Amino acid sequence: MEEVPIIEMKGIVKVYPDGTKALKGVDFSVKKGEIHGLLGENGAGKTTLMKILSGMLHPTGGKIFVNGKEVRFKSPADALANGIGMVHQHFTLVDVFDGLHNIILGMEGHGLFSKIDVEKAKEKLQKLMDELNFQVPLDVPVEKLPVGVQQRIEILKTLYRDVDVLILDEPTAVLTPIEVKELFEVLRKLKSQGKTIIFISHKLREVMEITDRVTVLRKGELIGTVNTRETTPKELAKMMVGREVVLKIEKPPKEAGKPVLEVKDLWVKGDRGEDAVKGLTFEVRAGEIFGIAGVEGNGQTELIEAISGLRKVEKGKVILNGKDITGRPPRELYDLGMAHIPEDRIHMGLVIEMSVAENSILGLHWRKAFRGPLGLIRWDKVKEHAAKLVRDFEVSVPSIEAPAKSLSGGNQQKLIVAREVSKEPEFIIASQPTRGVDVASTEYIRNYLIKLRNENKAVLLVSADLDEVLQLSDRMAIIYEGKFVGIVKPEEVTEEQIGLMMGGIKNES
Amino acid sequence: MRVDIKGFTKPLVESLVAIVIGILVGAIILAFSGYSPAEAYIALFNGALGSKYGLAMTLSSATPIILTALTFGIGARTGLFNIGGEGTVYFGAIMAIILTNLWGNVLMGLFGGILAGMAWMAIPAILKVLRGVNEVVSTIMLNWMAYFIALYIVLQKIPNPEDPNKTLAVPVSARFPIIMKGTELSWAFAISVIAALITYYILWHTELGYELRVSGYNERAARYGGINPKKAIIWSFLLGGIMSGLAGATEVMGRPPSYAISQGMANIYGYGFDGIGVSLVGRNHPLGIIFSGIFFGMLRAGATSMQIEAGVPLEMVKVVQGVIVVTIAIPGLLDLLKKVVRR
Ligand SMILES: Nc1ncnc2c1ncn2[C@@H]1O[C@H](COP(=O)(O)OP(=O)(O)OP(=O)(O)O)[C@@H](O)[C@H]1O
Ligand SMILES: [Mg+2]
Repeated sequence: MEEVPIIEMKGIVKVYPDGTKALKGVDFSVKKGEIHGLLGENGAGKTTLMKILSGMLHPTGGKIFVNGKEVRFKSPADALANGIGMVHQHFTLVDVFDGLHNIILGMEGHGLFSKIDVEKAKEKLQKLMDELNFQVPLDVPVEKLPVGVQQRIEILKTLYRDVDVLILDEPTAVLTPIEVKELFEVLRKLKSQGKTIIFISHKLREVMEITDRVTVLRKGELIGTVNTRETTPKELAKMMVGREVVLKIEKPPKEAGKPVLEVKDLWVKGDRGEDAVKGLTFEVRAGEIFGIAGVEGNGQTELIEAISGLRKVEKGKVILNGKDITGRPPRELYDLGMAHIPEDRIHMGLVIEMSVAENSILGLHWRKAFRGPLGLIRWDKVKEHAAKLVRDFEVSVPSIEAPAKSLSGGNQQKLIVAREVSKEPEFIIASQPTRGVDVASTEYIRNYLIKLRNENKAVLLVSADLDEVLQLSDRMAIIYEGKFVGIVKPEEVTEEQIGLMMGGIKNES
Repeated sequence: MRVDIKGFTKPLVESLVAIVIGILVGAIILAFSGYSPAEAYIALFNGALGSKYGLAMTLSSATPIILTALTFGIGARTGLFNIGGEGTVYFGAIMAIILTNLWGNVLMGLFGGILAGMAWMAIPAILKVLRGVNEVVSTIMLNWMAYFIALYIVLQKIPNPEDPNKTLAVPVSARFPIIMKGTELSWAFAISVIAALITYYILWHTELGYELRVSGYNERAARYGGINPKKAIIWSFLLGGIMSGLAGATEVMGRPPSYAISQGMANIYGYGFDGIGVSLVGRNHPLGIIFSGIFFGMLRAGATSMQIEAGVPLEMVKVVQGVIVVTIAIPGLLDLLKKVVRR
């Protein structure tokens, strides 16, 4: 006999206010106690479907059943009351609160007029963390914690609400391989406790490893649900894209040229005034991809911001094409041929309230091509430009007049990448360039970076995705606590060695 | 560029709904106070729109508040909560009087308004850029300082020797021609509409406006995009200063010949504050501000006939107006609060 699925969504339709049909009648069912993968290209509707299941969005049509009983969620609180909780693609923590207060924030009985029983909450949390072997510091403001830890807090926050169904929207996008392993252990433990998990990821390898079944969406439609054991990454990719996909990265050997970026004994402070970058020296040469690998929060952000003119340099020099650019403002750097794909797309790379067209010229809006008389912006040219970016990088947008916040996560990222390479840079910083981007587009972006390298441009790549750094870099540095543990050629090291180096342990060989 | 209709309909509908609610709540208050709401409103709308004279009064009342609303609107669109329009109006008016009495032509008057507005608004700009002083605090304090400084100038430096209750008037040669005889409607109204259109153009069609808006939404993205947020802050204040300065100047240059600032400044007091409401109702959009400015002008113009014809005392008229304003302003305020809280 077929047992009743814990979650059953039937014929779900979602039309956004601007007319975008994000879901066109999707059926989705999850069995109790399984880890269920949700796959699909950028903009397929994964986040939308899960926001509906977690009560954040209201479906335009369709029905939802929990344990066979029809439900109608008015808010996330309703979904929580039915045991469903979601951890979002973009975090929702309050930066200045510590972990504990973030976790208990908004809980019933913790309202404005009821006394918060902090001790009890702490006890319960500690128990939860011990059970799962999943520790986080509870008394540090979350803005001071690395992303990986912030994410754990997000997960604990949801678990603390006693959910049976945990939805994770691209949880691994921000994690390093080791952190992913740790996360998977927790997920397995949760599964053994009888929890049900819905797991969204663009990384097929992860989906193959952790899930029991996989559902694939394409352009708002259900393609199918398969048992993970009976499928292959190739088949999944085909289901997602609709055709056979041959994904490959071709990187011909190439002799690097003269140094384009030179960093000399660079010292940079972090937000708390601590030394985040401690005397780094390196160069990125023409026709070379120089990668930086490391656990997030080891000075990468500060390093990139210092090079790109966004953060003060305490000591040392940055030189671009022989010109000292230390402390120069971003605009000047862009005019000297720099481009920058920033790691934080929501808060830095885009103005999410503004349209795709308006975002398509951020950082090149002063260029002649867009300028009319009297300082007027030629919107006709801007729109042409935006349309071209969207076409070239297959960014799926409702229209180029739509605000950037109505794009799916991956499409926002593609828009930024498209804009930055459209600057035709001599030197490009690519920070987490494929974070949240689907398989096909990831390959496209990676190949594009290689193309830039082949055209003798200099590329500085920073990524938490070790595969990416290994695959693309001609040389790579491993950063730990603001210093390079070493600079190596990817083909000359094993993943284990790099793993050790990322933990700050120098290679003895 | 084609006007983006979709983006406008939602705020438009919200503002219209708020107007209706405001009028209804006002009616309830009137009824509870023993007046006939129907009679009162008929008198109000009749007074404001029912005759050429009323219409002229509506538009002339709209003139200064459209301009002061632009000050607040420019600030709001560029991430500032600039409520310094009030004090700026005084100096715009004073400077226009002084310069037109030295050189009697319209351009000198406008120039005086612009100059005084920019100079006064430069103060909160500099405080914010150099010392990080929050503009809410600085502009409130500056409004008070402006009041007393202006009062001193009005009483001591530019009194009218023939009429001690007033300042010197702007000479006839520097006044805006009256559009409709017997009313106070002058071409100053055109100045306010043109200023709104120019503001729209600057904000949405120039490189400067683009930079100002990006900074307003997201300072980090602005810095990343090669924009200097400090420069944006200064420009936002200066543009805002121009508008309120012009509000003062057009007021003393627009109304018929005997008009001048009264001894206690009562006749130029409050435009800056009203402008905040006008801007919120107009969703801080220059084109919306033109319409909400006219709506507010209508309330002002209709108040007198509401008093005369329906016997509603002026205080009651103000209460009703206040309710409408607050109700209308709520959606705009909510938007703004959301933004400020997120910051
Ligand atoms: N607020 C919104 N307004 C209008 N359209 C939206 C909005 N949010 C999402 N969309 C559209 O709905 C579609 C599905 O988006 P969704 O975020 O669900 O995709 P996704 O599968 O999660 O993609 P990704 O892998 O990039 O995160 C996209 O075409 C997107 O542009
Ligand atoms: Mg998504």
